[in-house]
Amino acid sequence: MRRKSRRTGSKTLVNAILAFICLIWLVPTVGLLISSFRPASDILKTGWWTVIPHREDVTQDRIQLPKDTDLRQPIEVNGNTYTDEQLRSGVKAPDGSTLIWENRRGRLIDVQKPGWTMSKNFTLDNYAGVLTGKTYVLKQPDGSERTEKGSNMSRAFLNTIVVSIPATVIPILIATFAAYAFAWLKFPLRKTLFIVVIMLLVVPLQVALIPVSNDFAALHLNGTFLGIWIVHAGFGLPLATYFMYSYISQLPKDLFESAFMDGASNFTIFTRLILPLAVPSIASICIFQFLWVWNDYLVSLIFLGGQEDVQVLSMRIANLAGSRGDAWHLMTAAAFVSMLMPLAVFFGMQRYFVRGLMGGAVKG
Amino acid sequence: MNSIRRWGRDIRFPETIRMRLTAGTRGLETERPQHHFIIPIKGLSRLIRQKKFVIGLILVMAFSMLLAACGGKKDNTEASPSASSPAPASSPAASPSDSPSASPSASAADGGPLADAYAGKFKGTKVTMAGPFVDVDQVKFEEAIKDFETKTGIDIAYEGSKEFEATISVRVNGGNAPDIADFPQPGLLASLVKAGKVIDVTTFMDKAKLEKNYNKSWLDMATMDGPNGKVMAGVWNRSSVKSLVWYNKKEFDAAGYKVPQTWDELLALTEQIAKDGDPAWSIGIESGAATGWPATDWIEDIMLRTTTPENYDKWVKGELPFTDPIVKNAVQKMADLWFKDGAVYGGRKSIVTTAFGDAPKVLFDNPPKAWLHRQAGFITSFFPEGLKAGEDYDWFPLPSIDPQYGTPALVSGDIYAMFNDRPEVRAVMEFFTTGESIKTWVQSGGVIAPMNDADPSWYTTDVERRMAEFIQKASALRFDGSDLMPGAVGAGTFWKGMTDFVSGTVDLDKAMEEIQAGWKK
Repeated sequence: MRRKSRRTGSKTLVNAILAFICLIWLVPTVGLLISSFRPASDILKTGWWTVIPHREDVTQDRIQLPKDTDLRQPIEVNGNTYTDEQLRSGVKAPDGSTLIWENRRGRLIDVQKPGWTMSKNFTLDNYAGVLTGKTYVLKQPDGSERTEKGSNMSRAFLNTIVVSIPATVIPILIATFAAYAFAWLKFPLRKTLFIVVIMLLVVPLQVALIPVSNDFAALHLNGTFLGIWIVHAGFGLPLATYFMYSYISQLPKDLFESAFMDGASNFTIFTRLILPLAVPSIASICIFQFLWVWNDYLVSLIFLGGQEDVQVLSMRIANLAGSRGDAWHLMTAAAFVSMLMPLAVFFGMQRYFVRGLMGGAVKG
Repeated sequence: MNSIRRWGRDIRFPETIRMRLTAGTRGLETERPQHHFIIPIKGLSRLIRQKKFVIGLILVMAFSMLLAACGGKKDNTEASPSASSPAPASSPAASPSDSPSASPSASAADGGPLADAYAGKFKGTKVTMAGPFVDVDQVKFEEAIKDFETKTGIDIAYEGSKEFEATISVRVNGGNAPDIADFPQPGLLASLVKAGKVIDVTTFMDKAKLEKNYNKSWLDMATMDGPNGKVMAGVWNRSSVKSLVWYNKKEFDAAGYKVPQTWDELLALTEQIAKDGDPAWSIGIESGAATGWPATDWIEDIMLRTTTPENYDKWVKGELPFTDPIVKNAVQKMADLWFKDGAVYGGRKSIVTTAFGDAPKVLFDNPPKAWLHRQAGFITSFFPEGLKAGEDYDWFPLPSIDPQYGTPALVSGDIYAMFNDRPEVRAVMEFFTTGESIKTWVQSGGVIAPMNDADPSWYTTDVERRMAEFIQKASALRFDGSDLMPGAVGAGTFWKGMTDFVSGTVDLDKAMEEIQAGWKK
């Protein structure tokens, strides 16, 4: 009995700590989400947390002083005198309110009292700008203005799907074959080859950019979808192979022995036994690879480029901010739009994900 | 038997199992004669071998299909890959640069590639371009070339990227260069010219024509050191003036302030505004990874006003060190203004943390929280919406400091360089030397055309027309120094050192040493 209560006690503690960590983790994302619904001018002026009701000095009244008031002399407001300095930083009046300049040159003073307030301006403009394309105002020679609608995101979204699905399927298919071979087949230089694959894990992809681009130029693969599939497959293979290897090599030996005894070939063993058994592991490496490809910016920048017909989402979003970054408020909304697909994939496959995470962890 | 052993070992079953397996088989096969025993095993091994073969076949087929798909793609991207021969091959032709008529083909003399293009000779060809224009700039750029595209049938495929500066070297070195690239930082182009990757435009363009359409200083700025002597690395297309001080015209006039003509008047105005209760200047140098660049523009402007243009050139080339008293004097001049109590909105501390694009916004608050803002012409796109040029805001040139150096103009611009030599690319390059290529952009505002044949009437506001005049009349014209310096300095220690100096982390001497150290890299 006592033991049980102690266990529930420690469980609540663990849960509380986890909840706290989750909360901290979530704060920036929540902030981003709130910002994505705020007008650009508000984002620049106040933080997203001002949407939470809070106490702040609220203007109750305004006092108009005579326009010719000399600011260098003590200033009389409602029978009390203050200096300009005091009014600039805000000064407490005898009745508890705060006096502060609203328009110094206009000699207008705000009378503020503490009160509850929250920022209530919300807008869908950011999302509209991201989803339907920005509107550009172009001045015409005759002084009139013409608006031009920028292209929307659908093309980039489609391109990203065209890039990511094969770039996920190809390397994982090859990696699963390879992992089976490394784990269960005997062939010359098996260990050496496997060590080479492991070593490739630590090669940063940046060092391969120029040589690969050179070869692609010779093969005319730069700027084609095929090119980027190959690149993503190449860069994804070492991790995927290692990941699949650690799972497949842990499968019980007896299974294959009996299968072999029943006359199963390697191919049958692979398709009938390995694949179904490795589904959790395949699902989780799929998520890894998919997220990596979906969010990738560098590889597509170098090998795919930014032409409208191949441009992927990450590049499109980066360009939304404008040449000088003056429209960065759109990034808040764009981030959430681009997050939708990975989220869908993640939640769709998450029950495999949690199980699959063990795939790499229990390597003996 | 040999094959059993081989395939038996292949599948990693322990010896005992294999024995059991053979025993089992043997058990089944007891009635049969001995020699039959081998057959099923052999059959199995053949089966395995076959299956492996099948897998291999499938993979090979899959790849060949992919490659076939690629072959199809290849056909429609470029019809004439042979023409895109490596750049250096044609650049040595640059050496007889004083006799442009001797350059490549006789057909260039009668009209040149541009005339051929308008005659429709390059219909259906495609010219790829890469550059840093994205978003609204890209729309304006494409608007400006649309007319040319429809008239000639050449498709200019423009690829804008915010990461242009970072990727262009990779793409050029990786053999994936665009036909034309647009460099806002000539320093970056210079390194590619040195490596012999860029095609000398004088090999096909009439030099007299270029001299007619560009001021000498523009052509000088386009001339860079190639592997075999001087090379005209590209053509200037879009420019912007930097030495501008912006102000809120309505409020400025209402307060009775006067546009200062000299540095002393500027200091007096600063003092006057401070007396009236506001900081005069709004300054922000935060710009993400590029934090500090607006400060380098200030230094360049002050350098031009406190020393000779020759010294400025030396400084940009690295011959005049940052630690020299001339440079220190310029930085000190800036510091005197920036660090004065009550002269800058938010004080010295906020300069480093204010985004350069947000800085001018306070000028248009009601009432203005600050009154003056020094920034290049592009900054108007950061002004709050709905302001009218000439009514709500205006500019004056950063005043002269020492009368003997006058009021020089600091400019920046985009130089278009060519990487693949094909007739249609030549035509497009020639098109970019004409004012026509930037006409609608000039009309929609935000840029200044560096070409002489650009009509002043294209500018829709006086504010911009005056900028074009300012460039033409300036006592000296110099390009943004930090864009000309090597990246390690111009986009590295210079930014960093200025940021450290302004934030107060290091003193002047230390900051200058820090910046100078970038030259050694």
